[in-house]
Amino acid sequence: MSGTARKKQRVTPPRISEGTTNNSGTLYDDLHQLAGILPRPTTPFRRAASAGPTPGSRRTPTNIVVRTPGTAARTPRGGPATRHTPARRNAPTTPHAIRALRERANAARTPGFQRRRSGRIQRETPRDMLRDLSRVLARDPRPVEPSPQDQDQIPRNPALDLLDIEDGPDLVAPRLSMPLGDMYDDDSFHEAPPRRSLLPYLPDDVDNGTIQSLEFGRRALSEDPRMMYTTRLSERFADLNELGIDEEDYEVDGTFITRRAPLDPDQLLQENVEDGLDDTTTEIRALTGRRDGRSSDVNLGVFGEMNDEEDEPTFRFTIPQRIQAPVREEPLEELQEEPLEDLQEENSEDDGGEGAGLDDNTGLGDEAPMTADVDDTAGRFEITGWESDHGVEDDTDLQAYREEVSAMDRSLQTQTPERSVTREQRPRKQRKETKTSRIGLDYSSFHTATVKRLANGFAKSHSKTKISKDTLAVLVQTTDWFFEQMGEDLKAYADHGGRKAIEESDVIAVMKRSRQITNNITSFSLAQKMLPRELLQELRMDSAPKLKRQKRKRMETVEEEEAD
Amino acid sequence: MPPPTLYPRAQLKKTIKAHTNRPLSRSVDILIFLNYTLFLQELVKEAAITSKQAGERGITAKSVRKVRADVLRKFKA
Repeated sequence: MSGTARKKQRVTPPRISEGTTNNSGTLYDDLHQLAGILPRPTTPFRRAASAGPTPGSRRTPTNIVVRTPGTAARTPRGGPATRHTPARRNAPTTPHAIRALRERANAARTPGFQRRRSGRIQRETPRDMLRDLSRVLARDPRPVEPSPQDQDQIPRNPALDLLDIEDGPDLVAPRLSMPLGDMYDDDSFHEAPPRRSLLPYLPDDVDNGTIQSLEFGRRALSEDPRMMYTTRLSERFADLNELGIDEEDYEVDGTFITRRAPLDPDQLLQENVEDGLDDTTTEIRALTGRRDGRSSDVNLGVFGEMNDEEDEPTFRFTIPQRIQAPVREEPLEELQEEPLEDLQEENSEDDGGEGAGLDDNTGLGDEAPMTADVDDTAGRFEITGWESDHGVEDDTDLQAYREEVSAMDRSLQTQTPERSVTREQRPRKQRKETKTSRIGLDYSSFHTATVKRLANGFAKSHSKTKISKDTLAVLVQTTDWFFEQMGEDLKAYADHGGRKAIEESDVIAVMKRSRQITNNITSFSLAQKMLPRELLQELRMDSAPKLKRQKRKRMETVEEEEAD
Repeated sequence: MPPPTLYPRAQLKKTIKAHTNRPLSRSVDILIFLNYTLFLQELVKEAAITSKQAGERGITAKSVRKVRADVLRKFKA
């Protein structure tokens, strides 16, 4: 056995070296036949493989090639060498060994190309693939000869040919195309028109970030939907303006128009006004701006986050105004506040009526000269002084209006004209303090101190800095909105439930709907977390009887059951 | 002796009443105030995040203005 193996070893290597080159030959067939006749020789092969030195190991795979020619290099080396046992030498006794041997023999018997097929998956090492490729590549170029141009370049790959084109004389053609491309870039349909339509033409490198962000289009878009998709808040303001229920809003509109419209015709007055009114006009504008800002803010807040720039100026004015106004006026007018207010409201109604009905400057013209007068007098003239000024304009409406004013002024006779300036501002300030809800009831905005305390408490966890004044103002405003929203929600819930009063269940329903109360978070746990103990206690006290009632019911049922 | 006012209770009641035109049952205002507290917390939190993103220190009016619409919507029933 060992002798045969040695013989084989000696014989096969040259054959196989030939065989690998030829890939097919009678030698292989002989070997196959040999392998088929003698299944045993496999063991000697391995033996030789294990015993043989490195060159021998080289050969062993070639020996094994007899069984699986291509793959032999890989598989047999690891497999059979490890598997190899002296017991194999003897005839295989176990069924497994027998079957394995038989399979091997079968594999050896299969025709060469089929064997290769089966082993192809195993054989696909990169090296094999490369070898295959090299064979394919080496053969192809000869028969194909695709390029008709230059016979010298035929052997080259198409990829190389491309390079040649760039290097070659053909460069002219791409150059021609290049300038054309540049021209297209300049004139291209895609870039220029959008710019030209609205904006001045700018070269690409200019930083036109600000110019292109012109808000013409955007604002027009945002304003339209503002009207279309009015939220509750904006709806409310719109309604108020239409119905004229809210005198304040109405008058604000009126005054806002009056500020500007009459000033144009009365050039003479205008100068004086602007000279004298600088302080007051800014204040007034701030006030009007704020009044407008209230309704518009709601919308802007809802629809555009981008509009902060618009909001800011109004609020910037607002805040100092708020503090200054009361300081000036309150000491003076405390005595006669109430009659004044009434008169003012009448005035405002008149303004509104005129502005709405005539759309004229008559109503508007009234106020403008008044402010002008106020400034002219500037603390020197008396009330008669401005009545004479009023006389300049002849209008029945004006007369009537003036009478009212004078009636009001009669009560204020002793006051200086400065007073009258404040007289115009004061009601507005008053309006700001007490707001009118949609229903028409007055309410005042939430306590600033409370908001500040709460917000500071919350803000501490985020940052050390305290809340600034204008932030607080925004917070208070937001608070008012929140209560308005909450109130309307509660009302809706109560209406739905057919209740006259708003009950806890409504609030809890609202909180549940806004996911503040969930299955895991009860109102009590929230209250425990958020509220001071006293309030918590009150909540408990209130809800205690309910619990009792439920318990009692349960108890009753239990008793019944027991009785049964 | 009652503790110092924890929040302007009467005012809150009045405000809600003005918006709803309905009487409030007994401890509703506390719950409303609780909801408001949550709201303000959320508002401040969001504003802090926004202002931090903008690189500002603390909470600015701008950041509050930016987030309040969203937060209001979140608390809308």
